[in-house]
Amino acid sequence: MSPDGLPLLPHVASEFYLWLWWSIDQRDAVFDLGGKVGTITLWVEERLAFRHPNETKITAVMTGDRPDETLEARAALAGGKVVQDLRLHMRRDDREFTFTLKGAALDLAQAKLPQAVAGGAEALYDRMFLYEEVALVVGALLQEFARERLSDRWDAVVVPAIRDWSLASRLEAAG
Amino acid sequence: MGILSGALTARRFKVVGDVPEAFRDVYREQLGQFAFRDPPNEPGKAEIEGWVQTHNLLDASFDDLNRWLYDPYALFALRIDKKVLPANLLKATVEKECTKWCAEKGVERCPNAVKTEIKERIEDEWLRRTLPKVRVTELCWNMRDQWLVLHSLSESVADRVRKRFHQTFGLRLVPWSPLDWMSDEATVEGLLGTMPAAMQEAK
Repeated sequence: MSPDGLPLLPHVASEFYLWLWWSIDQRDAVFDLGGKVGTITLWVEERLAFRHPNETKITAVMTGDRPDETLEARAALAGGKVVQDLRLHMRRDDREFTFTLKGAALDLAQAKLPQAVAGGAEALYDRMFLYEEVALVVGALLQEFARERLSDRWDAVVVPAIRDWSLASRLEAAG
Repeated sequence: MGILSGALTARRFKVVGDVPEAFRDVYREQLGQFAFRDPPNEPGKAEIEGWVQTHNLLDASFDDLNRWLYDPYALFALRIDKKVLPANLLKATVEKECTKWCAEKGVERCPNAVKTEIKERIEDEWLRRTLPKVRVTELCWNMRDQWLVLHSLSESVADRVRKRFHQTFGLRLVPWSPLDWMSDEATVEGLLGTMPAAMQEAK
């Protein structure tokens, strides 16, 4: 559907990552994506990277357990930085995945897959199946974001809610 | 760490072009033609690249389909060898040799032509006894659905793979886009037309 190879606009990718982060908080980590995907559990894990809106270089990285809950992450947002990379943990049925989405192409990095088979052709089939599963879920999340991003709700409800959430959680984190 | 085990890093491409009917035999031959070849005993600095098996980077034979073709997937890797000399050590050695040459000839300055000759001789000697840096990047091609994942996010590696893939198979690798997930043109156009939202509170 896209002109050949065109990535998302950088600000759209960053808004998608922030929307995911906010949605995880709002939905208690549970996403009902319907269709082929069904219900998944999702949370931010181990790494959040930020950049300045007009640059591509990463300027702040939060690591460790639940970096999304740190004061530094909220401060980065408050300082006008935007999310560039987001490491997520996903549970779908009884399978657990951890992976990083990077940049405007939503490249998949350092994906830990619940591989059941080691070695040989079966391992390849297993890994490609699991890779496709991650792609299916990320695609469904992006579709849901796109619906919201292009709806009237975005400016009227979502953006103010994310602003309030960002401010409130920063105040909360600051104690 | 790669496509078969460990953490997976994947850049996805669409494969564009027509796949021949007898693709197994055709691609076996083409992979063999563009496989990695050890250079003849030359000291050159140029990078050498070619396809190898993922099982072992020394295995560049694709004769046995069972070693790389797992219907619908083809699994192989691009090997890139490059010899690198320590620049500071080379420069210092050349200067020493030039000084020695000047002393032998009883002159103060070493002409550029001589300096170049000395440098080339030392580079040649060193390159003969230097092992290359070897980089191997795995890729998995779904031949049924015509997509490919590259186990690297490096732009330079992606460019080399795309070029060699085209040389080998006559097919184009087009970066896959997240917009391909969108089910209709209006959504794609909508996302491409958005302005940044004011996500931070006004200061």
